[in-house]
Amino acid sequence: MKPILLQGHERSITQIKYNREGDLLFSVAKDTVTNVWYSVNGERLGTYNGHTGAVWCVDCDWDTKNVLTGSADNSCRLWDCETGKQLALLNTNSAVRTCGFDFSGNIIMFSTDKQMGYQCFLNFFDLRDPQQIEDNNPYLSVPCSENKITSAVWGPLGEFVIAGHENGEINQFSAKAGEILKKAKEHTRQINDIQTSVDLTMVITASKDNTSKLFDSNSLDHIKTFRTERPVNSAAISPSMDHVVMGGGQEAMEVTTTSTRIGKFEARFFHAAYEEEFGRVKGHFGPINCVAFHPDGKSYSSGGEDGYVRIHYFDSHYFDFELEA
Amino acid sequence: MPSMEYDDSKPSWADQVEEEGDEGTLPSPKETIKGNIKTVTEYKIDEEDGKKYKIVRTFKIENRKASKAVAKRKNWKKFGNSERDQPGPNVATTTVSDDVFMTFISSKDDLNAQDQEEDPMNKLKGQKIVSCRICKGDHWTTRCPYKDTLGPMQKELAEQLGLTTGDKEKTPGSAEPEPAQPAQAKTGKYVPPSLRDGGTRRGESMQPNRRADDNATIRVTNLSEDTRETDLQELFRPFGSISRIYLAKDKNTGQSKGFAFISFHRREDAARAIAGVSGFGYDHLILNVEWAKPSNN
Repeated sequence: MKPILLQGHERSITQIKYNREGDLLFSVAKDTVTNVWYSVNGERLGTYNGHTGAVWCVDCDWDTKNVLTGSADNSCRLWDCETGKQLALLNTNSAVRTCGFDFSGNIIMFSTDKQMGYQCFLNFFDLRDPQQIEDNNPYLSVPCSENKITSAVWGPLGEFVIAGHENGEINQFSAKAGEILKKAKEHTRQINDIQTSVDLTMVITASKDNTSKLFDSNSLDHIKTFRTERPVNSAAISPSMDHVVMGGGQEAMEVTTTSTRIGKFEARFFHAAYEEEFGRVKGHFGPINCVAFHPDGKSYSSGGEDGYVRIHYFDSHYFDFELEA
Repeated sequence: MPSMEYDDSKPSWADQVEEEGDEGTLPSPKETIKGNIKTVTEYKIDEEDGKKYKIVRTFKIENRKASKAVAKRKNWKKFGNSERDQPGPNVATTTVSDDVFMTFISSKDDLNAQDQEEDPMNKLKGQKIVSCRICKGDHWTTRCPYKDTLGPMQKELAEQLGLTTGDKEKTPGSAEPEPAQPAQAKTGKYVPPSLRDGGTRRGESMQPNRRADDNATIRVTNLSEDTRETDLQELFRPFGSISRIYLAKDKNTGQSKGFAFISFHRREDAARAIAGVSGFGYDHLILNVEWAKPSNN
């Protein structure tokens, strides 16, 4: 396969995300712009300019109308997807680490970092009520004083948010009252990424403890574990096959102090049921920070510490391959 | 997916001559669509070296069926930093990278095999090709862990018994006791030439006794191309002191031609080398070692 290389960022990629149909790919990095690309040919549709700090997270609603970004400039911004205009600016006290639309596209959540004397908060806004945006007054704000949230996604039906914490815990926060519905602590170290399956029934975590785990999103039952030798930065579930892809590598700060051969900067494919690795794709010059499957499962993208996003369309071998159990 | 390729093949000289006629003016860009292949030809003068370039880009036009929403989004106007981009991917931000392949791992063994470094010396580890003169262990004499303790002890013992510290193959109590040269060399101390082995004798090499040399020469064939003289030295040194190594090499490439001659000082050593190394696998080739036939000249 010939990957399409997207060079829209000057610094390391922090998150990439497809929209629901998968025709658009959003990418954010530690520079200030948010890029949106046509996934079919890698053509850049545009950029959302306005942030003044590293952008940590991006999300797009189900009908690809609005885009939400959260940044280390202590703001979360809402954009018009088509024109790139900024629709709303929500100022916070500390960096915004995660953000997301619920499935209706009406409610947004974002979490802020424990930083500069401020606590970690999980905030919920209802976009149908413009007053909330205007006053910068969330209808619900959940403090997480102990362990900050490092990754979060909406669960099914918009009832709760599944959040991964820096101590390896995962919690379900109700979007109505903010109470913790379910807890699970299967990881020993920070959870770098959480992504849902296409039908939102499962979530996959990527943790610094070198493993990636599959959970039932409703019960938070631990289903499967995928082990590697390096911290996992991101993991995604294939929408069409029983596969997961994991991206990782040693931490950026440790790269210069260790040999390049042991970097393991490949995207690694595991069989979801057998928990066995069956394939690897090389390409990035540094750790992979984020991976995402196209919603049709025929391609996947990865964003790395090297600042590049690579879109890979799978060869026929990938679909023909069967793991010998 | 439209892919871009630069055509770096030169146009025919006739075209070039024609183009050179109108210096300074550039032909206008052309765009031809033939079936589903669109070819865009542009001309530009490079600002740095002043040369004229013809850029030919080939696009494949592909029609895809998409949902209404996706088709509508495909017609959105570009915005932000891409506002001035032409339709189609901009080469500044989008490039097609080199081919990469997914490496499939069919079983766990494959995975381990990948990680393990290929080392031809690993294959030799099981076989005993080297034997220490001190402790008869499976290592070079110089690397013997007992060389500082056992070596001198053996020497003393040998002196007490009136034996030499030479190799076991030597008949005990041979008429001319050899000076304990190997033991001395092991300690790494400097020994003046006058005190060294044979220092009291006349230099052998000065004497025209190449005949004797020939008698202790072996021919090694079926060596791999990568073999070096040092490899041979390492391989044959355990059998006894070597006087000469000749590795046949190609004059141009410097690669080994696959055979070598090794001359030992003593014929017994050569005989042992033949017995020890013939049929021995080295660098995945099986070595063939035999007595060298005396050369005709």
